[in-house]
Amino acid sequence: MNRRTTLKSILALSAAGISSFSAYKWISLNKEVNVNELLSYQSLIAELAETIIPATDTPGAKEAGVSGYMINVLTNCTGKREQNKFVSGLHDLEAYTIDSFDKSFMKCNAVERNIVLKHFEEKGIYSLQILNKINNKFLGQTFFSKLKSLTVEGYCLSELGATKGLVYDYIPQTFEACIPLKNNQKSWATK
Amino acid sequence: MQSNNIDNQNTYDAIVIGSGISGGWAAMELCKKGLKTLLLERGRDVEHIKDYPTANLNPWDFKNGYYNTNIDVERDPIQSGAYSPATKHFFVSDKDQPYIQEKPFNWFRGYQVGGRSLLWGRQCYRFSDLDFEANKKDGNGIDWPIRYKDLESWYDYVETFIGVSGQIEGLTQLPDGKFLPPMELNCIEQYLRKSINENDKRTLTIARVANLTRGWDNRGPCQNRNLCSRGCPFGGYFSSNSSTIPAAKKTGNLTLRPFSIVSEIIYDEQTQKGKGVKVIDANTNENIEFYSKIIFINASTIATSLLLLNSKSKRFPNGFGNDSGQVGHNLMDHHSSAGAYGVYDGLKDQYYKGRRPCGFLIPRYRNLDKDEGLSFTRGYHINGHGERKEWMDRMGEPGFGKNFKNALTTPGPWTIWMAGWGECLPYYENKISLDETQKDKWGMPLVKIDFSFKENEKKMMDDIKETCEKMLLDSGFSYVHAFNYSTPGGTTVHEMGTARMGLDPKTSVLNGFNQMHAVKNVFITDGSCMTSSACQNPSLTYMALTARACDYAYSQLMAGNL
Repeated sequence: MNRRTTLKSILALSAAGISSFSAYKWISLNKEVNVNELLSYQSLIAELAETIIPATDTPGAKEAGVSGYMINVLTNCTGKREQNKFVSGLHDLEAYTIDSFDKSFMKCNAVERNIVLKHFEEKGIYSLQILNKINNKFLGQTFFSKLKSLTVEGYCLSELGATKGLVYDYIPQTFEACIPLKNNQKSWATK
Repeated sequence: MQSNNIDNQNTYDAIVIGSGISGGWAAMELCKKGLKTLLLERGRDVEHIKDYPTANLNPWDFKNGYYNTNIDVERDPIQSGAYSPATKHFFVSDKDQPYIQEKPFNWFRGYQVGGRSLLWGRQCYRFSDLDFEANKKDGNGIDWPIRYKDLESWYDYVETFIGVSGQIEGLTQLPDGKFLPPMELNCIEQYLRKSINENDKRTLTIARVANLTRGWDNRGPCQNRNLCSRGCPFGGYFSSNSSTIPAAKKTGNLTLRPFSIVSEIIYDEQTQKGKGVKVIDANTNENIEFYSKIIFINASTIATSLLLLNSKSKRFPNGFGNDSGQVGHNLMDHHSSAGAYGVYDGLKDQYYKGRRPCGFLIPRYRNLDKDEGLSFTRGYHINGHGERKEWMDRMGEPGFGKNFKNALTTPGPWTIWMAGWGECLPYYENKISLDETQKDKWGMPLVKIDFSFKENEKKMMDDIKETCEKMLLDSGFSYVHAFNYSTPGGTTVHEMGTARMGLDPKTSVLNGFNQMHAVKNVFITDGSCMTSSACQNPSLTYMALTARACDYAYSQLMAGNL
């Protein structure tokens, strides 16, 4: 079967899936998100971000203030469906953490936190790359992938992330087209 | 002036409508020749450096990063596809300035002094006779009234003034220009240049751009920040704001009037000339008339046609100078949605420093000496760039935690992204027209745009995918992926045609000097004058045509012919 035929048959499957999507689900994804609820999760979001980009010899996501960026983008620049998915993702994550460890994510140690995030990373991923693409197209990013991409952007665009985690060249002046890579060379913060 | 009842305060030697890349040139040339010139701009003033509020900001200075807010996206569904919080102030609001898409068409607009010259891609490529002769040879559209020799010295003139960096390559399909030193290809691009030259005898050259590799005309040099579209505080690239408008001001002959929406060109039945223009003050809604001996229309392709179609008189019931019925028709835009991407496993000990504000070019390699029997006519060139994967490209890699952070913050493998900028044929049915009932908030009719790419363009896109994929595979790239984003017309922001030049007044609007066949003192030198689109980025050609037309208009005026 060539790629196009595969794609077609998968699309047909997805269409069937979508038509059986319940009206309840649609309503729950399109309701207004309470911004204060998102704000109340700021410290949880900060810890989740830190688990994705921890402090090492350079600052981590928490020190770089990434949760503020994430909440800004979720509040100002994210559609209702995506907002709701994110908030219910946080609920799911807390529920799963309590089920697994009998305590909230905030109270978990680093090993436990990694186990929780690993679970959510694997949950959203199909082994077949094309299914991921289709899933993203129809259902938007998964909770974990949204959490991760917001963390990465927030970190790499932050002052600490850009200047300490990466290298930031404010006014390069010259362009050096081909230079030897230095030991422990960080990549450029901006293109 | 013949009429005695004209208020002298509102009378000039020349009026230029629009201050973008071609209007800025028209104003400068006419002022330098000593003509008192009124430059009308529908948007606000943007002064070089002073009005570039985001030019020096860091990434962390933007509260929402580079995302547009939900409110912006709702208000500006089209423009927000092109702007970011760093450039939003140089775009119109779709809500304030709506248009009608009869088929999907992205009309990106920057209504301010300098227009889109603040935002342009700065690519400067000459047309050649391969382009000027194409319509005549294959029968699409009508013949250009000019050839390369008519424009060559004007290309020299413009390049020498604006400053274009580039590499001499000696190609007939892409004539060399008067260049500042070229920007440099990075390692992967040098590798690809060598490889495709060996494999296919094709040339890969550094982009020819109006970014200054050394100081020029009291501007620059380019600081390699790659933030051009915010406006450059170093004057590192050419714009009307940084160059032609200040030069025009220096003559003492320029009157710049922002917030001036030209609603009509006034036709004088007695003299059979354009007498002047009707202006709506964008702030006060006041109607004002201005008069002049010659008029240059440089409002940008679609807006220029709107103005002509809206200027009706007894002599021109179908729009100003529209005896041929061609005004609004033959709208073109380059397609640039097809190409290929690949990853190169090598050169891992090499990197770069600085953000070069351009990529590379593979000049046209299809249908050069003869029709090659391909499924399409004309051709395309390839724009692309090479880089190492950095955080934006690596965030999708699996995992999280320490190892993920390490990968995220170190350079990944080299990649090449490249896509074909392809010629679009002039189709009569690709057109703009005016809506008969709907008007904007100044009472101007809304523009309807009816445009689509057709078989020739689609076949060309398929060929672009194939040849790009093959060049990368033959050069040892892996994960090679050919793509076609299938974007609608307008996306390349090279809209042109709609008031074309030609030899025959029955089938064209302008003659070989961009002069209206029917109204001799009116000239149009923006993108609407184009008889075919070629595949080259067109701004350099607009500027050369403008300088040439100004020279002609002035000599005709002096000879008493206008």
